[in-house]
Amino acid sequence: MKYTITIFADNSPGVLYRIAGLLLRKKINIESLRVEEHNHFEHVSHFTIAIELDKEQLKKLVSQIERIIEVREVSFAPTLS
Amino acid sequence: MPIYDALYDYKNTLRHILVRHEQGAAHAAEGYARLKGKPGLCMATSGPGATNLITGIADAMCDSVPIVCITGQVAAAHLGTDAFQEAPIIGMVTPVTKWCYQITKTSEVPSIVAKAFAIAKSGRPGPVLIDITKNAQTDFFDFDEQETIKTNVSWSKKILSPQATDIDQAAKLLNNAKRPFLLIGHGISIGKAEEALMQVAEKGNFPTASTLLGLSSMPTTHPLYMGMLGMHGNYSTNKLTNKADVIFAIGMRFDDRVTGTINTYAKQAKIIHVDIDKAELNKVIPATLGIHADAKEFLEALLPLLTPGNHAEWIEEFRMLERQEKEQVQDAELFPEGKDITMAEVVRMLSNKTKGTAAIVADVGQHQMIAARYYEFERPDGYITSGGLGTMGFALPAAIGAKIADPAREVIAIAGDGSFQMNIQELGTIMQEKLPVKIIILNNEHLGMVRQWQELFFDKRYSAVDMKNPDFIKIAEGYGIAGEVVTEREALGGALDRLLDSKVCYLLDIRVRKDENVFPMVPSGASIADIRLS
Repeated sequence: MKYTITIFADNSPGVLYRIAGLLLRKKINIESLRVEEHNHFEHVSHFTIAIELDKEQLKKLVSQIERIIEVREVSFAPTLS
Repeated sequence: MPIYDALYDYKNTLRHILVRHEQGAAHAAEGYARLKGKPGLCMATSGPGATNLITGIADAMCDSVPIVCITGQVAAAHLGTDAFQEAPIIGMVTPVTKWCYQITKTSEVPSIVAKAFAIAKSGRPGPVLIDITKNAQTDFFDFDEQETIKTNVSWSKKILSPQATDIDQAAKLLNNAKRPFLLIGHGISIGKAEEALMQVAEKGNFPTASTLLGLSSMPTTHPLYMGMLGMHGNYSTNKLTNKADVIFAIGMRFDDRVTGTINTYAKQAKIIHVDIDKAELNKVIPATLGIHADAKEFLEALLPLLTPGNHAEWIEEFRMLERQEKEQVQDAELFPEGKDITMAEVVRMLSNKTKGTAAIVADVGQHQMIAARYYEFERPDGYITSGGLGTMGFALPAAIGAKIADPAREVIAIAGDGSFQMNIQELGTIMQEKLPVKIIILNNEHLGMVRQWQELFFDKRYSAVDMKNPDFIKIAEGYGIAGEVVTEREALGGALDRLLDSKVCYLLDIRVRKDENVFPMVPSGASIADIRLS
């Protein structure tokens, strides 16, 4: 199943690396990735990551992403094709 | 260099321990944190100094130990130029730290250092690394105290108080349980929840078992304490995990060494899983009730809702299996017929002589499992070891940190002849700091655990497991440390007395049976129901 994960996190160096590291550890390939500044004043970045994974694994991945200190909010939804 | 130059001015107020290898610094910081309950700090220079810390950092990550590591770095202008002793340490440690940050401006120092300590110890503790470039060490800035404090609170990840509905549901499940089983982990000691745990266990009359890192959170001799879980845990605790109707797991993470194959793990049980790390809930074992909470807070909230339980028959089932283990395994190890000393008799004699109150710092291998199984812990934080990562070489430096954290406590490093040699250089730190750390090498002239696996699972094809060892007493002597070799059972008691009576560091090289195996054992990949007694 293809999912899109949406992450809001502090806009600081290394956050993308930490998220990508979690994916790498589980050997999950990134299908697409977009990072943009969401809120310039609060320095929040908005990550959109598309991956292919079963739902149980996805839920575990999401709670591990939530654990990253800089991450404020994570959500996921099936990718509409 | 600039930081060490500044330390010169704080010689009398800031105690600096000069270790012999950076890995030792990281483990010593862990040992300090484990006994003190506060973050341990270690520093290393850039490049190789920083990379040498990594094993200790990964170890702290696995075992949720709060340490703060500070590494030097080349000047910001030279980053990425392959400068002398430049290593991209942030890139290397990101996956094994709770948080890390590279400081390139002096003005960042106060807030980042404050943040580092706060993150290391908050929630589920873990290692944090700060990499400070040389220019940030030498430049100046105007310090604004208000700003520091403000920055300090903005990051926090909140642990919410447990929900009333969760507590109610947990109480209901436990009050109606016929065969409840309480599983405790490192979270009890980290959360200082020992007292609350005991009250809950006693009120509900719950048989209780511990993971390796949960040991000593409940006294070994407590009537409700049934033993250790997992691969080399006890017979009853493993067998009856698959018979309990309600499993109440708190501050533990269902590590694979605890569960064996998960396909057959506690399928019959309703599982209440309480952990401070939300990501641990449903990670390995699906919980009937997964509760994201601090152990102590949850136990205290649960206590008034529990009805006093009586599970005498269920507890007797544990005792029956325990007797079986005693007859088939423990008696043979504690009262051996042969003339060779066994690891178990050393550990039990040490336990009796210290009345179970020492802090045992165990390395990794057979001796670690035997120490866990046969030392009768009477005091919390009595067993410090590398659990998750299984880092050989942990014990000696970690014992140094533990002794510094609590000089009044008897700190005893128990190592194997293999693991002792992995950080043997830290004897130099002990010498220089005059630390009365006690050291016991359970010497079987083998990498014993590997040898055991080769015997049991690889048709006795012994491959690279026998050790030609140096004269440990002579090495200790070189460091000004007294010690003795023990080869005869009759000499063991006297040698342990001399070790314990010594006001300074003392080392025993105890020659034990070479082909001893640790049982019970859940073979790798097997079900806990298939735990072997021989």
